[in-house]
Amino acid sequence: MATNVDQPANTMLRRDGELERLLPRVASGDRIALKNLYERTAAKLYGICLRVVGDEAEAQDVLQDTFTTVWTKAGRFDPVKASAITWLSVLARNRAIDRVRARRAPAASLDDAEEVPSDSPSQLDVLERDEDAARLKNCLDELDERARSMIRTAFFDGASYPELARREGVPLSTMKSLIRRGLMRLRGCLER
Amino acid sequence: MSDDRENTDRQALAAEHALDMLAGDERDEARKAEASDRTFAGEVARWRGRLASLFDEVEAVSPSSELWNRIEAATDSNRGASNVVALRRSAGRWRAMAVGMTALAASLGLVIIRQPQTGPAPVVQAQGTPLVAMLGDSDKQMKVVASWDPAGRQLVIAVAGDMPADPSHSHELWVIPTGGEPRSLGTMPPVRKMHMRLADTLAQLLKQGATIAISVEPPGGSPSGKPTGPVVVSGSLDQA
Repeated sequence: MATNVDQPANTMLRRDGELERLLPRVASGDRIALKNLYERTAAKLYGICLRVVGDEAEAQDVLQDTFTTVWTKAGRFDPVKASAITWLSVLARNRAIDRVRARRAPAASLDDAEEVPSDSPSQLDVLERDEDAARLKNCLDELDERARSMIRTAFFDGASYPELARREGVPLSTMKSLIRRGLMRLRGCLER
Repeated sequence: MSDDRENTDRQALAAEHALDMLAGDERDEARKAEASDRTFAGEVARWRGRLASLFDEVEAVSPSSELWNRIEAATDSNRGASNVVALRRSAGRWRAMAVGMTALAASLGLVIIRQPQTGPAPVVQAQGTPLVAMLGDSDKQMKVVASWDPAGRQLVIAVAGDMPADPSHSHELWVIPTGGEPRSLGTMPPVRKMHMRLADTLAQLLKQGATIAISVEPPGGSPSGKPTGPVVVSGSLDQA
């Protein structure tokens, strides 16, 4: 799963600062910057979309959504808070999960479709620190196998509590307490 | 004691919300809290940042080379005149769609289907007959023909008449299966004709009687995966 081969590419995307320079240009409506950004990040972001939705055609739709959102919301990116690739990855995952949820949602007609507000500004808010990667890895390792695996499934498959409970064949309340305990232990470890 | 408990619950909610694993009311509650409570929003943002290192495990995969063209078309805000007002005006009238359009649908649909395929060769096995939907608003300002070829999973959307365009909105295409929920088929680039090859999961929803609709959404499409804006045109799929 976690391959070392991946590391150099990510490190490169994180460190060269080029993406951080491109996003403000995209925010100002620079189409060439959008294309450059796409060329540099599409494969990574498509990998994320594909991992979450699990279907190539849908993943491409989600990637399209992601970049059209970047086109209009690039101004929300704050380089002080997170690297550009992290911000873009979070955005791609959000979009992918919305897609997965829409697919799994119970039947409702267009008439009943509720007025859902568009992305709240905070939904694209990401606060990252340099030591996060190493810490998260260590702290996830401290969790028991089941909690760790459920948290990873929630992250990578966009699986909600009801979905996880269904997959594991346990009551919703059991799933919730299992994961909540895991998350609180994780938090305790991360803040140590 | 109970404050501690509440605090812990709140912290757990922040992590769960960052993972986006909440459903229903709890998800709504967390979204509201994130919008209104800065401390909570900060916790959520921090969790997003921490968890983001998991993205390192995801391998990069190259998307299809034509995807950039779709994105370029979808983000092209320079084309078309601003005309959201016209779209708004026809909002809500979609149910009143003219019955007389059916005949027109059939004739227009046949024209579309006879046009040569420009996309990749269709998949070999035939899986049912081609279907056509005529989408029109009651003012007949805008007409859209959707023709569906189940064999090749190809959906062709042809716009006849005025397709109002506005850079601050997107048109999103939906299929609503009989008795089912709307499912997005993606946003529409401002072109007169487009070909889409649908994923299997979506393709199986395009049955006779299913409704095809176009709604006005924020740029890039509905953020929720469900229609949020007015439906400008709709029509049901029928045999060509």
